[in-house]
Amino acid sequence: MSQKKTHDDQKYVDGLVANNSFIIQAIYDKFAPKVVNYIKQNNGDEHGAQDIIQETIITIYNQGSQKKLQLTCPFDAYFFLLCKRKWLNHLKKNNKNQVTINEEVLSKNDDAQELSFETSDFENKQALFNQMFQKLGTACKELLKATFKTKSMEEVAKSLDISYAYARKKKSLCIGQLTKLVQESSTFNQLNY
Amino acid sequence: MQEQDYILFEDYLSGDLSSKDQINFETRLNSDPEFKKAFTIYKDFSDYLDHDIKNENKTKDFKANLDNIAFQYFNKEKETQSNQTSTKNFSFLKYVIAASVVILMGFFAYNQLTTQVGYSDYNTHQTIDFSVRSTTGNVDLLIKTTKAFNSKQFDKANLYLKQLLEENPDNTEYNFYYAITNIELDNFTVAETILNPLSQGSSAYKNRAKWYLALSKLKQDNTQECVTILKTIPEDADDYSQAQRLLKKLE
Repeated sequence: MSQKKTHDDQKYVDGLVANNSFIIQAIYDKFAPKVVNYIKQNNGDEHGAQDIIQETIITIYNQGSQKKLQLTCPFDAYFFLLCKRKWLNHLKKNNKNQVTINEEVLSKNDDAQELSFETSDFENKQALFNQMFQKLGTACKELLKATFKTKSMEEVAKSLDISYAYARKKKSLCIGQLTKLVQESSTFNQLNY
Repeated sequence: MQEQDYILFEDYLSGDLSSKDQINFETRLNSDPEFKKAFTIYKDFSDYLDHDIKNENKTKDFKANLDNIAFQYFNKEKETQSNQTSTKNFSFLKYVIAASVVILMGFFAYNQLTTQVGYSDYNTHQTIDFSVRSTTGNVDLLIKTTKAFNSKQFDKANLYLKQLLEENPDNTEYNFYYAITNIELDNFTVAETILNPLSQGSSAYKNRAKWYLALSKLKQDNTQECVTILKTIPEDADDYSQAQRLLKKLE
């Protein structure tokens, strides 16, 4: 993927990461109507569309700022595929299967398909990570929060009144525990690992 | 994986392994798929926590901004419908705006002599008169708003406009001037959340919203975004000439 050329529409991803209101507005104006129409035609309403679009934008923001997402296809196709997949999953969850599934409806753009799958995988991982972090004990949670907020482990150890060596060891073991929780989770097999 | 493996993961990621241990580690990564898988998850989770915890406030700000824009977008249709009934008022307003801009342009021609460019060079807002345009509603409040705004008591004007908006949340004119008071008071997020949809909409304030959006960026010393927005102001806009002049100075 890294060898592919970045698309001009990268400006939308960069704009989201920079929390640029102008760009966010432009994304709504240009790309939301198609999504709203699709959802309305498939057992949904405007309210449902609003949620789907918002969640999708947050995912792109997260992937953009955390993983430096590089757009290799038009934003239009990529965004629509993500929203569509999210909507279909939502319907599946609620057992409403009477959907016009028209896979060719928008895009034969392989780059858009591939990139949208990567983003969906990223989103699923984020959701699982978040869920697993909540399962962690208070001591681990606090240590990890302090570790990632503060730059030096020395400071973390001092603030939690533990030795530097113990803080470091504890950090690895806490993330190790999270790693284990992820691998044991029922949705692990659906992730790309 | 054993406890020791996780400690090794951490040492490797923080670059604390000797070069010999590092080579051993990488060799194991390439030959032991389970080890590699656990390491990848460990690293992904670390990246996730690093980003999520460090950027907690930034993400919160982003979500709040997104919420606002989404709300405005999905309520635009309703707003457009209600605005159609007041089109007559707007066309009258256009003349008022055009006349005031002539005065403003005179001021800016003078201003061009100075070389330093700042928000304070451009914040001579045209005066308003809400009281003559409305026979209904809280006339007392409308007069107070007019006086406060025209005498540049923006903190007061801001409060009054807020009250007017509580009764009339979709009123484009109140929204527009409320945004200006917020730029004056450095509440840029509030101002821009109003100006963004206005600048994309179809009301008489469309282009003026762009101009004020640019001024908001100027006041925040965000020259790059200011320039980008100035470039979107079309030739037929009232503020086109001063936008072009500001653009020249900034570039």
